[in-house]
Amino acid sequence: MSLASSTSEILAARTQMAMTLGFHIVLAAIGIGLPALTLLAEWRGHRTGDPVYRELARRWAKATGVLFAVGAVSGTVLSFEMGTLWPHFMAKFGQVFGAAFAMEGIAFFIEAIFIGIYLYGWDRLSSRAHLLTGIPIVVGGIASAFFVVTVNSWMNQPRGFRIDAHGNVTDVRPLAAMFNPATPPEAVHLILASFMVCGFTVASVYAVALLRGKRDAYHRRAFAIPFTFAAVTAPIQVIVGDWATRFVADNQPVKFAAMEGIERTQNGVPFRFGFLEIPNGLSLLLKFDPNARLRGLDSWPADLEPPKNVPHYAFDIMVTIGTGLVLLGAWALLSWWCRRDLPRSRWFLRAAALAGIGAVIAMEAGWTTTEVGRQPWIVYGVMRVDQAVNPGSGLTVGLYIVLVVYALLAAVTVTVLRRIARAPETAVGVATGGATDPDPGTGSGMDTETDPGPGAGAETETDTGPGAGAEADSADGREEARR
Amino acid sequence: MSVWADLSIALILAGLTAYLLFGGADFGAGLWHLFGRERRLIEHAMGPVWEANHVWLIFVMVLTWTAFPPVFADIAGAYWVPLSIASLGIVARGSALAFRKVVPEKYAVTFALSSLATPFCLGAVAGAVALGRRSWLSLPALYVGVLTVGLCVYLAAVFLTWDAHREGDATRFRAYALRAGCAVGLLALPGAALTGVHSPLIGVSALAGVASLVLLWRRNYLAVRVTAALATAAVLWGAAAKADLPLASSAAPDAVLRLVLTVIAIGGLLLVPSLTWLYVLFQRQDPGRTQGTGA
Repeated sequence: MSLASSTSEILAARTQMAMTLGFHIVLAAIGIGLPALTLLAEWRGHRTGDPVYRELARRWAKATGVLFAVGAVSGTVLSFEMGTLWPHFMAKFGQVFGAAFAMEGIAFFIEAIFIGIYLYGWDRLSSRAHLLTGIPIVVGGIASAFFVVTVNSWMNQPRGFRIDAHGNVTDVRPLAAMFNPATPPEAVHLILASFMVCGFTVASVYAVALLRGKRDAYHRRAFAIPFTFAAVTAPIQVIVGDWATRFVADNQPVKFAAMEGIERTQNGVPFRFGFLEIPNGLSLLLKFDPNARLRGLDSWPADLEPPKNVPHYAFDIMVTIGTGLVLLGAWALLSWWCRRDLPRSRWFLRAAALAGIGAVIAMEAGWTTTEVGRQPWIVYGVMRVDQAVNPGSGLTVGLYIVLVVYALLAAVTVTVLRRIARAPETAVGVATGGATDPDPGTGSGMDTETDPGPGAGAETETDTGPGAGAEADSADGREEARR
Repeated sequence: MSVWADLSIALILAGLTAYLLFGGADFGAGLWHLFGRERRLIEHAMGPVWEANHVWLIFVMVLTWTAFPPVFADIAGAYWVPLSIASLGIVARGSALAFRKVVPEKYAVTFALSSLATPFCLGAVAGAVALGRRSWLSLPALYVGVLTVGLCVYLAAVFLTWDAHREGDATRFRAYALRAGCAVGLLALPGAALTGVHSPLIGVSALAGVASLVLLWRRNYLAVRVTAALATAAVLWGAAAKADLPLASSAAPDAVLRLVLTVIAIGGLLLVPSLTWLYVLFQRQDPGRTQGTGA
């Protein structure tokens, strides 16, 4: 096995993988959540005949189309990079985790097929059939996320093979590899994180619009649906995050030591968080014993331990933002419980506008924690990153080119999405009968009241007449014509 | 080599064929798009299907790295430069097409250039591998790259002729397809000499190519899809027969292959009807002609 690569080339390969994956993970997260939100809006529109929901569904479907496309192609890049950057890793272990990717491929294929049918089928299918074609997209998205994560969890807890005396992989059991012990906590944690990222980012777009005074029914619901979705997920994520952390503490103690910044093995380890230090806190939290002994980074050889600052700060950032998001959701739910409305404070909307960026940062920080915390291993305890990398020269140049392309891609994607979110006044005005909603109660998206206005039905369930639908369609048609 | 390994090879070749035919037509459509005359038709035809067309590439890659991991690793590691260019081309291309749905006046050049670079690089790598692991910048490999682009352009013209016919007027695409067919036929002529491939499949490809020209001339736009596909696929099969890869020695254990092939078989039960529905649904007359791509 050639190990000719210099450290700078290895760093270039790692940076390229980290950057392209970090980019893809955000799109994948939104790609998992946004079809669900779109379907929810379409289903409400189908049930109530309310054109605001239909307009929302159409708008979000458009955004789904763009994000799914960018997510799909950035995911294809990752498939290439598996081989172009890490050929020795693939040559040896492709057979062990390949089955998971085959399943992922099928789930993704289903997604790609139905996204085509869904996005282009509005006029070719009955509204009920159209709604149903969205379901495979949601199921396929969650399934492909699950299958991909099994590979990452396998890299952390490699199972399902043996290495013989010659260093060859034998006795391959692909299902044992897939359902390794790290799979349950990692998969649940990531899927919930995707829901949170999607919910909070979509909500933040409309939080900005609400702050700018666009307080009509369209913008309120566009905010309330994704926000509620994310706010409900956030507290569950706290429990799952705790599970995942305890799993790492038990199964990858060196990663845990890096995450918590435990430098020396000792009894009664303090809990360190930023500048805060609670004596014996970490031992108590983890083992329910203030004097419990925890292993520090000093108990591993220096060349087999991860860098200690990056996982520690990344973990703290994730936990801090996660806590903030839970509190923000609790604020909204409390307000809803007391007054059947979202908080009136502008500070709430400002915080909600930041929550989208926060959720993305938290997800990236969590990803950084688990990936950097696994270093120097690509397959924990079995193969180091420097044993896996492509020995070819020029990886650094490749990295720069990829960086430029992705920077451009990110910039254009944001521009295009903003263009979709910019609701032309006419479309919304027509959809809501030209009136902005004077009743703050309809802001929740979960209520049964509907807005006044001729376009919207007076009551739920009753108005599914052709009038409402035709108006929404004509609004959409006019909007298409304007472009 | 076990029967499972043979089956895996057959599936990889089938996946490559599907990718060349569907993905290839997609790339070719990107180049016709540059002419700017039929953009609406092209985007309309590609819109619902292009993502599914490109999943075939993922299918091929995943199956190769699972069933023959060292072969995948050797090819990807050795040809990382053209493969990286191709992957960036795929990114630029897919994104540009998706962005054009929202901002129809932009990104046409990016779309066309990436539609050119991607099949060229993939073709050059395929040529380099098939012709005995030479450099992708060697003359025969570059020739295969150019030929791949030509085949894509030709396939796209043939496929789009039917779409244009269904939408009303196939005159322009019929002319494009006839010219592209003649040009690619001429381009393929020195192929046997340049690449050293001597396979009866060359004859199959040539015959199917000539039949396609006749069918186009006679305005038989559906049948020509079949013969043009055969003419193109035969080139790939000829190259594959020439390739000398250490497949037998690098095959994954049967336990792995059995699982993966079972997964694909079960997946196929879901995929084949879905994919058929996708293609059939959008081959019918469009009910809402005024709406759609916005181009």
